[in-house]
Amino acid sequence: MRELRASLWGTAAFALGYLLPGTLGLPTLTYDPVARTVGFSARVSGVAMRYYGDLLWACAAGLGAAAVVWSSRRPPRPVGVLAAAALSLVALDVAFYLSRLLAAV
Amino acid sequence: MTVIFESGARSLLLVHAVLGFTAVFAATHHAASAISAARGRPAQRQLRRFGWMASGSVVGQALFGLALYPAYRVRVRLADLERSAPAVAQLFDLKEHLSALALVLVVGASFAGRALQRDAPAAESRAVAALSGTGAALVWAAALMGLYVTSRHPVGTR
Repeated sequence: MRELRASLWGTAAFALGYLLPGTLGLPTLTYDPVARTVGFSARVSGVAMRYYGDLLWACAAGLGAAAVVWSSRRPPRPVGVLAAAALSLVALDVAFYLSRLLAAV
Repeated sequence: MTVIFESGARSLLLVHAVLGFTAVFAATHHAASAISAARGRPAQRQLRRFGWMASGSVVGQALFGLALYPAYRVRVRLADLERSAPAVAQLFDLKEHLSALALVLVVGASFAGRALQRDAPAAESRAVAALSGTGAALVWAAALMGLYVTSRHPVGTR
């Protein structure tokens, strides 16, 4: 089922695309709500935030992966393996962000 | 100093909350239908119906949440939580991340679930159930964390 494979690849790519820009310090879209300015930077300071940018990275990765799989003519991989990989990456993201919360309290 | 959408923050918060509750219940129903389908019961109509509701409400509440975020960041987090309750500010950060992951899981499960046939292989229906169930669990977690932070200091109040 093409829809399921596209969803699983999209989920896996989204999870990676959401985690990596922040942890690797990749440049992303930033927004300063006080100065009301938009920028593109790896570092944010003060009240500026990179959440919108990280979300855009993740959406681009997820939609890109889903589109590639949707139009691919290569023989499909087993669904069970794909589902396990996608949910493992989601679990990795959850564990990482949970560990940051636990480290801060 | 004016923050974007600050003047309408209370209205935005109400709509965000209503859509959030809709997302919780629609995603839960979708997960229950996906689990039924994985156990061999007919659930294709429910998967289509709750798939539209779940993905629509999750995307809608995410958009309203994104609109509210600058006002939260300045008026709640910076002005209050970072000094009085830094752990609550960290909890809200976790809620944001879980919401983002829930968004892709619920939309992906809805997209895959609407195409799931009654005679689909067991591995496919189990994969849809796993996506949908994980998405619903994350939506629940994000909703409870959001309620806790809002009960402490709602955005739109000083």
